Amino acid sequence: MLGICVKSVWSHKRRLVGAVLAVVFGVAFLSGTLLLGDTLSANFDSLFTQANGSTDVVVRSATKVSDAQGQSNRATVDASLIDQVQRVDGVAAVVPYIEGYGQLLGRNGDRIGGAGPPTRAANWVDVASLNPYHLVEGRAPAADDEVVINRGAAKTGNLQLGETTTLFTPQAMQVRIVGITAFGSADGFGPSTFTGLTLDAAQQHLTVNPDRLTELRVEAEPGVPPEELASRISSVLPSNVQAITGTQLAAENFAQIDSGFLGVVRNGLVAFAVIALLVAAFSIFNTFSILVTQRSREAALLRALGATRRQIITTSAVETLTVGVVGSAAGWVAGVGLAGLLKAVFDSFGFALPAGGLVFKPASTVLALVAGVVATVVAGVVPSVRGSRIPPVAALRDLEVEPPVVTRRRTLIGVAIVGLGAAAVIGAVAGAGGGLVALGAVACLIGAVVLGPVAARPATVVLGRPIALARGLTGDLARQNAMRHPRRTAATASALMVGVSVVALFTVFGDSLKASAAKGIDDTLTADVIVDTPGYGGQTGASGFGPELARAIAAVPGVHSATGVRGGNALIDGSTHAITVADPATLDDVLDLDVTHGDISALDASTIAVSDDTADANDWQPGSTVTITYPDGSTAPLTIAAAYDHRSIVGNYLLAPAAWTPHAVQAIDRQVLVKLDGGADATAVRSQLADLAKAFGNPRVQTLPEYRTSATEGVDTVLGLIYVMLALAILIALMSIANTLSLSIHERRRELGLLRAVGQTSRQARSMVRWESVIIATFGTLGGILLGTFLGWGLVEASSSGTITVFSVSPKQLVVFLVIGALAGTLAGIRPARRAARLDILAAIASE
Amino acid sequence: MTVTTTTRVAARASHATKRYGTTNAGVTAIDDVDIEFADGGFTAIMGPSGSGKSTLMHCLAGLDTLTSGQAFIGDVDLGSLNDRELTLLRRERVGFVFQSFNLVPMLTALENITLPMTLASTKPDREWMDTVIDTVGIRDRLTHRPSELSGGQQQRVALARALANRPAIIFADEPTGNVDSRAGAEILGFLKQAARALGQTIVMVTHDPVAASYADTAVFLVDGRIVDVLPGPSAPAVLDHMKHLEG
Repeated sequence: MLGICVKSVWSHKRRLVGAVLAVVFGVAFLSGTLLLGDTLSANFDSLFTQANGSTDVVVRSATKVSDAQGQSNRATVDASLIDQVQRVDGVAAVVPYIEGYGQLLGRNGDRIGGAGPPTRAANWVDVASLNPYHLVEGRAPAADDEVVINRGAAKTGNLQLGETTTLFTPQAMQVRIVGITAFGSADGFGPSTFTGLTLDAAQQHLTVNPDRLTELRVEAEPGVPPEELASRISSVLPSNVQAITGTQLAAENFAQIDSGFLGVVRNGLVAFAVIALLVAAFSIFNTFSILVTQRSREAALLRALGATRRQIITTSAVETLTVGVVGSAAGWVAGVGLAGLLKAVFDSFGFALPAGGLVFKPASTVLALVAGVVATVVAGVVPSVRGSRIPPVAALRDLEVEPPVVTRRRTLIGVAIVGLGAAAVIGAVAGAGGGLVALGAVACLIGAVVLGPVAARPATVVLGRPIALARGLTGDLARQNAMRHPRRTAATASALMVGVSVVALFTVFGDSLKASAAKGIDDTLTADVIVDTPGYGGQTGASGFGPELARAIAAVPGVHSATGVRGGNALIDGSTHAITVADPATLDDVLDLDVTHGDISALDASTIAVSDDTADANDWQPGSTVTITYPDGSTAPLTIAAAYDHRSIVGNYLLAPAAWTPHAVQAIDRQVLVKLDGGADATAVRSQLADLAKAFGNPRVQTLPEYRTSATEGVDTVLGLIYVMLALAILIALMSIANTLSLSIHERRRELGLLRAVGQTSRQARSMVRWESVIIATFGTLGGILLGTFLGWGLVEASSSGTITVFSVSPKQLVVFLVIGALAGTLAGIRPARRAARLDILAAIASE
Repeated sequence: MTVTTTTRVAARASHATKRYGTTNAGVTAIDDVDIEFADGGFTAIMGPSGSGKSTLMHCLAGLDTLTSGQAFIGDVDLGSLNDRELTLLRRERVGFVFQSFNLVPMLTALENITLPMTLASTKPDREWMDTVIDTVGIRDRLTHRPSELSGGQQQRVALARALANRPAIIFADEPTGNVDSRAGAEILGFLKQAARALGQTIVMVTHDPVAASYADTAVFLVDGRIVDVLPGPSAPAVLDHMKHLEG
């Protein structure tokens, strides 16, 4: 029996190529993304281990003011702790450590980094075990204007030993590079930059209060285990300070990035891979459905001769298993290459990820292979089980085995599932909770697949009409062929529909995001010129300026006022929140906050303004008091003095510098919003400001319309990345169309031969097949667009976050997708069309 | 009308009726047929197209089920068997020869012949195999694939396959329909020889009077009913009968 199976697989090997390729692509994507994720994890893990692992004990504040990634996110500790810790038995050395923001300029005056990865400066620690950096050139800083920088920053900024450059902390300071450092064997902590200063310089520039430290680093005496030392130190510390081992700190930092940034990247990648695999499963299902139909005669013969149903299913199972195993194995190998390619894609979109050599984890390999094999076998066995139900005599009689008519039951079930899904989405929009959208999306997708065959016939009738009119008989035959097997047409189109619906969903979501950003800017931002540093996706970057930039801008003729907008994190009533800090006196010039209560300009050291949404959510009234914990760890009560409606620029909490600056570690303006005098020429002043700002690392100086464009265009960058991720799924879907058509042509070769015999030219035959492909592709694309737009609408409307407030869909974009879908259909039809045209007429007619 | 013999019965049908579609709008393919096939006999079922002869054969062979009435192979009532039991019965006790050969294209002639045994995971009886292969005369073609054989050769392979597991009964559906007259005569000769020399029960459906003349008995079917039985048919007699029936 196994012999028959093997022969059966071998004899259909050409027809299986399409299915195998679908598996290869799907598994390659999945294993590639898993591999990239594992590699990133391992790299971050080793980075953090290198950074903190050799330090025996770290003493730090127990108060965490921010969940932000890779920043000093804890309150500072008092320098007086040094003496206390020094006296603990087993302590060999205690080093104060002050770390903060330090933006370097390169030789050409541009910022080095600053778009996302941290740009850090700290005092240079000369105890080797307490400092992950070590000097590779030059010496340690000895004077306050001397620095060491990491080799990566030196390379990027084209800076040499002995050279002088600017360091913003955020105040500009002229520094001389006296040393180049390396981070283990690497040029730096990933793409982030590091500048080492003298302790004195760090105290002056990296913190507002010189007596406050970021942390203490402790070296143990030989023979004292770090855990033991940490607990001894803990016992002498006040309750708001803690001591942990370097190993613990590394694990904590890694866990934080793993569940944050890294987790998002990894889950996102895997989600796209799963979509690709799902599309591949449709393709496989389709291929095997057709193969089962085509071989129903053969199966019927075997059944008549005494093969049991189980034997027939076993044959198919062996076949699908072969396809699954071969495809998955090849896909895994291809995934190794794809992982590298994906990293390159990320790099080209500006997301620098640290990735050394690839890290292979057995669990991921097994997962990718098992997912591939299981998807293939499930998708392949279902049609064969269905096929085995056909009574042998029906197949022997040459009956049409695939029922061309769609059953009522299918229609009812499909409508019911879609109805439930749509109800869930609409319910979510009406406020029943965002989780319902996901549930509704899954139901809508399943329902759409079930309903596909029901819709296929009317849809192809309509979609094919213009083609039939334009192309005469050839077009009409194409339409008839597409209508002939509604189930097959629908199954083929389904793969494309799934892919396109995700594309449409993201497009709608992106459009809405853009519209929301634009609305936020239109509603709120009244500044004429905006100065900031560019970050990922056109947004404002992580870098910033000292308050002197705003002051300098305010002095330029034609400028009415310049307001620095600062961001930070603090604990409000115990939980961490993003805080915006801006000068209340000039804020009204540049922002229309739609103040609903109180007076923003009256904000002072003891008051805070909150958004209406936040006030409602917390049941706060004007005059309510909240407790804030500042980045320096100090706590103060604040009275709510004002409330506002427009939160898209400033977020939920707004403070005056009078309250914030004394407790901030560094005062960094992320944006400077400029209001011009009435009648001033925005473009002229803008270029004047650009010249002025050059000395601050050449930031972005944009007029309001320019800023609006760049802020919204940023979404396109992210969308572009998502489109690239989805391209593979679409490619698999198109391959599925090509494959189905090829198989159909094999099946119809007799009638194709007949058409050719009675005078159809080979060009007409080609055109006929191509148009059929276009009809199927358009059907799938249209379905995907409708589904994706609907789900996008649900997602946007049900979203409770403040960043997405407006639903927007660009019909032009969707029409472009439809056209691309139709054109892609032409491409998918090329090979099958050629096959149809090259058919040997006599052999085709003679074939049984 | 009934056909009765005193010898042992290889297969029979009793009040066999097969309807397609709903009772009102449906077609009655066979209508209350009673028939018995004697052990070792070679029966030809004749009739114009649409007379129900193929349906009768499919129902007797366990490929199709009756709407009412009973069909037996030996003493086994086919209606009492489930799908799996029917399959096993076909595998062990029934042989088929189809009009369009129906060989499995990727298997060689020999593999096709032993296919029923392969499916049953049993070993073919070497001696019997040799007898069968020599009877149909395809020893020099055993390693060839169906596509490398002529129509007549393919049908001889199909015949060998039907004989291979010594079935209780062989059903042949227009076995000469797709071959030229010379090859057809050979096939019919082999069938006749199988019945005479090997004692094989054969039921052949045909509309060719010449083919029917090889059989021991010709049964005439019109509109799903047996209308006549002709023992020891000759081609002219059969032709005459058919003219009579259609006229």
